Amino acid sequence: MQSVKEEAVPRPVQRIASRAVDVAKVYGAGSTAVRALDGVDMEFETGKYAAIMGPSGSGKSTLLQCLAGLDQVTSGVIYLGDVDVTSLNEKHRTMLRRDKIGFIFQSFNLIPSLTAKENITLPMDLARRKPDAEWLDGLLDIVGLKDRLRHHPSELSGGEQQRVAAARALASRPEIVFADEPTGNLDSKRGGEMLAFMRRAVKEFGQTIIMVTHDPIAASYSDQVVFLEDGKIVDLMEGPTVEKVLDRMKTLES
Amino acid sequence: MWRTTVKGLMAHKLRLALTALAVVLGVGFIGGTYVLTDTINKSFDELFADTTQGVDVFVRSDTAFESQNASGSGDREAMPEEVLETVQGVDGVDTATGSVGGYAQLVDKEGEAIAPQGPPTLGFGYPDDETTENEDSAVTMRAGREPATSDEVMIDAATAEDHDFSVGDSVDVLFEGPKRTFEVVGIIGFGEADNLAGATLAVFELEAAQELFNKEGTLDSIEVTAEEDVSPGELRNRIATAVPDGIEAQTGDYIADEQSDSVQEALGFFNTALLVFGFISLFVGAFIIFNTFSIVVAQRTREFGLLRAMGASGRQILGSVLVESVIVGFLASLVGLVAGFGIAAGLQAMLRVFGLDLPSTGLVFEPRTAIIGLTVGVLVTLISAIGPARRASRISPMAALREASPQQATFSRKRLLVGASVTLIGAAILGAGLFVSLDNAVSYVGLGAAVIFFGVTALSPLFAEPLARAIGAPIQALLNVPGKLARQNSRRNPKRTASTAAALMIGLALVSMVSIFAASIKATSSRILDENLKADFIITSSAGGGFGGFSPEIAAGAAEQHEIGAVAAVRYGEFRLDGASRFLSATDPDTIEEVTSLGVVEGDVGDLDGGGVFLSTDVAESEALTVGDDLTMEFPADGKTDVPVDGIFETTDIVGSDFLVSLDTYAEQYTTNLDSVVLATVASGVSTDDARAAIDTATSDFPNVTVENQAEFKETQAGLVDQLLGLITALLALALVIALLGITNTLALSVFERTRELGLLRAVGMSRRQARSMIRWESVIIAVIGAVLGLVVGGVFGWALVTSLADEGISEFAVPTGQLIAYVVAAGAAGIVAAIPPARRAARLNVLEAIATE
Ligand SMILES: Nc1ncnc2c1ncn2[C@@H]1O[C@H](COP(=O)(O)OP(=O)(O)OP(=O)(O)O)[C@@H](O)[C@H]1O
Ligand SMILES: [Mg+2]
Repeated sequence: MQSVKEEAVPRPVQRIASRAVDVAKVYGAGSTAVRALDGVDMEFETGKYAAIMGPSGSGKSTLLQCLAGLDQVTSGVIYLGDVDVTSLNEKHRTMLRRDKIGFIFQSFNLIPSLTAKENITLPMDLARRKPDAEWLDGLLDIVGLKDRLRHHPSELSGGEQQRVAAARALASRPEIVFADEPTGNLDSKRGGEMLAFMRRAVKEFGQTIIMVTHDPIAASYSDQVVFLEDGKIVDLMEGPTVEKVLDRMKTLES
Repeated sequence: MWRTTVKGLMAHKLRLALTALAVVLGVGFIGGTYVLTDTINKSFDELFADTTQGVDVFVRSDTAFESQNASGSGDREAMPEEVLETVQGVDGVDTATGSVGGYAQLVDKEGEAIAPQGPPTLGFGYPDDETTENEDSAVTMRAGREPATSDEVMIDAATAEDHDFSVGDSVDVLFEGPKRTFEVVGIIGFGEADNLAGATLAVFELEAAQELFNKEGTLDSIEVTAEEDVSPGELRNRIATAVPDGIEAQTGDYIADEQSDSVQEALGFFNTALLVFGFISLFVGAFIIFNTFSIVVAQRTREFGLLRAMGASGRQILGSVLVESVIVGFLASLVGLVAGFGIAAGLQAMLRVFGLDLPSTGLVFEPRTAIIGLTVGVLVTLISAIGPARRASRISPMAALREASPQQATFSRKRLLVGASVTLIGAAILGAGLFVSLDNAVSYVGLGAAVIFFGVTALSPLFAEPLARAIGAPIQALLNVPGKLARQNSRRNPKRTASTAAALMIGLALVSMVSIFAASIKATSSRILDENLKADFIITSSAGGGFGGFSPEIAAGAAEQHEIGAVAAVRYGEFRLDGASRFLSATDPDTIEEVTSLGVVEGDVGDLDGGGVFLSTDVAESEALTVGDDLTMEFPADGKTDVPVDGIFETTDIVGSDFLVSLDTYAEQYTTNLDSVVLATVASGVSTDDARAAIDTATSDFPNVTVENQAEFKETQAGLVDQLLGLITALLALALVIALLGITNTLALSVFERTRELGLLRAVGMSRRQARSMIRWESVIIAVIGAVLGLVVGGVFGWALVTSLADEGISEFAVPTGQLIAYVVAAGAAGIVAAIPPARRAARLNVLEAIATE
């Protein structure tokens, strides 16, 4: 539980939030086997905003899901902080997701029968933990949804829904947030707001975020871009800008 | 279109199986009942054809009708022994054997009276060495020989086996007169059967039997075999002209048919009851089918839209769904018919437990069974699918492009109007059946109830939302998120929740109606006993739910004890009034008013000694008779007789009928004189314990009766009602099981529909346990909604039923609150069971695939 008192003490942070050690992921078997990840070694630093980019089918979503413990790797080891995720059973991985990880998907992020507020506190409610009221309040201020909290997802716009999803991902102050194309379904204005919000979370609260994206603009909000091709990491770029990313993408796709 | 239909079916095997299961069970039960009925009928036809085989003509006294006596067998006047000589003298008669019959009840080795539930305890007397002399007869000696002296007896093989009697054992036998002891010298069977339709049999030597049955110098029947060149019909005619008036001759075939018919008639009620329960099950099944098709059509909206966009017409879509329903109905009915065999075998085993040993004929499958089973199964499925199919045909091609949004059922005026009107119409039909005297009252009641069920089902979405909210509140408080989601999900689509719950509602409505009815009967009977019964002791038959008869010696013996005050026996007899069968009670006019109040309105009960009758106020009114008028009663022996009305009485409940005569009058009209109830008081100044000891002594020779004080008697009566309630509930269990399958089905489809949502929940940290719990509690909410609606409807039904029977003497309306609450709890528990498969499915869901699902 994150109490207000603990807030004063700095969080006991690992330098590395997430780590993949020689990870391979093979779908299927025999002649139809697809090697979605092929020997990925990568460390994601705490408090950083990382973006994963690459052509379609390069294994971005697969990598993200393996890092989050949603999917099992074929070989290699995944660490979340100092926990070996690949050795955990289903029950413990569920606990891990609930307590230490936040998720934002491209679409269908919210439970239709729950209000925005209920969706935001869902992971904590599932864990029967009380949300940190102050933190939540501050979060909602930033997300700017205070007047829509009692609304159901069907009454919110796509952008609002994604922001609710982002608020949910951050509400329990997880060690790390995974986002798979969070702005994929949004227009550029809403997408920009969403990205700015995530950027702020990293800057102001030291939140670690790993985001998959196709969009060079989205990538430009991050601290570091990981380029993936055919299941392998082919490049790393620190301090990306739109132009630099676009350039790199062109060479990748050709 | 045909190919899409078949493909659609194959793609959803689970859905297909679950829908089909409801039809399978319903058709199985109906088919099983028919198979059993046909099997029983055939085996009795064969059995009686066997037992009368070799007998060409039967001679017996001619009666107006055959009345049922207290020992469960038919009653007929005896004929003088001289008739035998007359018959023997007829040209063409080869052999003629006279016999007598009567009440004879065997006592087992533990001293308990052997009493089959329903079938009679028969005694016969045959001349020595003639019973099985006829070589064609199917009556076979299994062991020993025939009785030759007055202290020997031959018994049926089933009784011998069940109660461990063998040749050489001694056995006590109860008669109208005193108890006697015999030696078992022979054991007989009937072809392959060990007994005759469940009856116990004691065969004595003829002269001994004549004395035992008070039939000295008389015979009940004469079995005749013809000489080789004479046909049975011809011989029958010759004998008929030779014998005096009042005696008839019938061919062996005629007698076989008659006996078989009478057994089949006795079992007819049982068959009808089973069929009713089968149809109730199918009716409940119809709701499930409707529900499944509705949900599936909703889920396939995009698919149908796409088909429309590609040029399929609405009619084609309609046809496709209907064809799917016909295929499902047909396949399920086929499986149901096969299952029917198993059900028939099970029911047969159940009958055997009740003492009805059927000869081992293989199960009989008449084409009629298949025709009815298939027709009903397919029709029910087809009709249930019409609504959903029409909805599917109206889906616009645009639907293919839209994101399918769950329909939000809102309050609808139209629904309220239609539902309320249908309910009212049903109530009117039901009311007509209950309160207006109509010819087919039962059909009206059934139809009315069915229409009400439709009406309430139409209305139920209006209640489902608030009910789900209310029932879900404590669950949510207790379980946090899974509870909250369960509650929300059950409210999300009130129509679906309501129609799923409706199936359970029907079963519970019937169960609670029967419970209320039973509680009311108990309350009424308890009140009647309190108010009217003065007797301290009640003696009834210990078997057959207290309906058997017993020797008048018991009442006589009790009266001799000086610790006992007044004693009055009551016995029942069948007679006809304007051609309709009625029952009269006979009692001792001098003592009856000391043991119970009769509520005499007019006349003096003591006058009954003169041969008159007392009528209940109801009958006096309906027949427009007063004291001094004559009532024309038709008796088995004397035919139509004018009986003077001596008085009118109000309280019919204790004596048990609307017609009261004296025991002497009874003895004049009926051959068998067995008491059904004996009421006795403690003599003044004697302690209850002493009186009890005295009455126990008086009955010690008769293990076939039970002596009870008022409290014990009341308890026994209540126990009988509870037993019946239990039986009906057990038969309704099938409908309840089908309703629960419906919940399983709906939830399975909902889980499928909410795959993505479940995946998301699991991704953000819902444990498998929590996922299971969420589905489980949604199921509980649906089940409890069904139970609550069922209780309300059942309460109204029960009230209507009890009120309508106020004239029949059910004056109290009692609600067994504890029992009804237990039903709701049980429904909730059953909901948990119903949720096991879908909950498991939800918990097993692969998170990634779920998220990826379109
Ligand atoms: N469940 C699966 N079974 C078989 N193959 C799969 C499965 N999921 C992904 N793949 C394959 O693995 C490879 C990587 O897929 P992944 O979804 O990670 O790509 P991506 O980089 O996220 O692509 P996109 O940008 O299109 O989302 C692809 O070739 C894909 O076809
Ligand atoms: Mg992807």
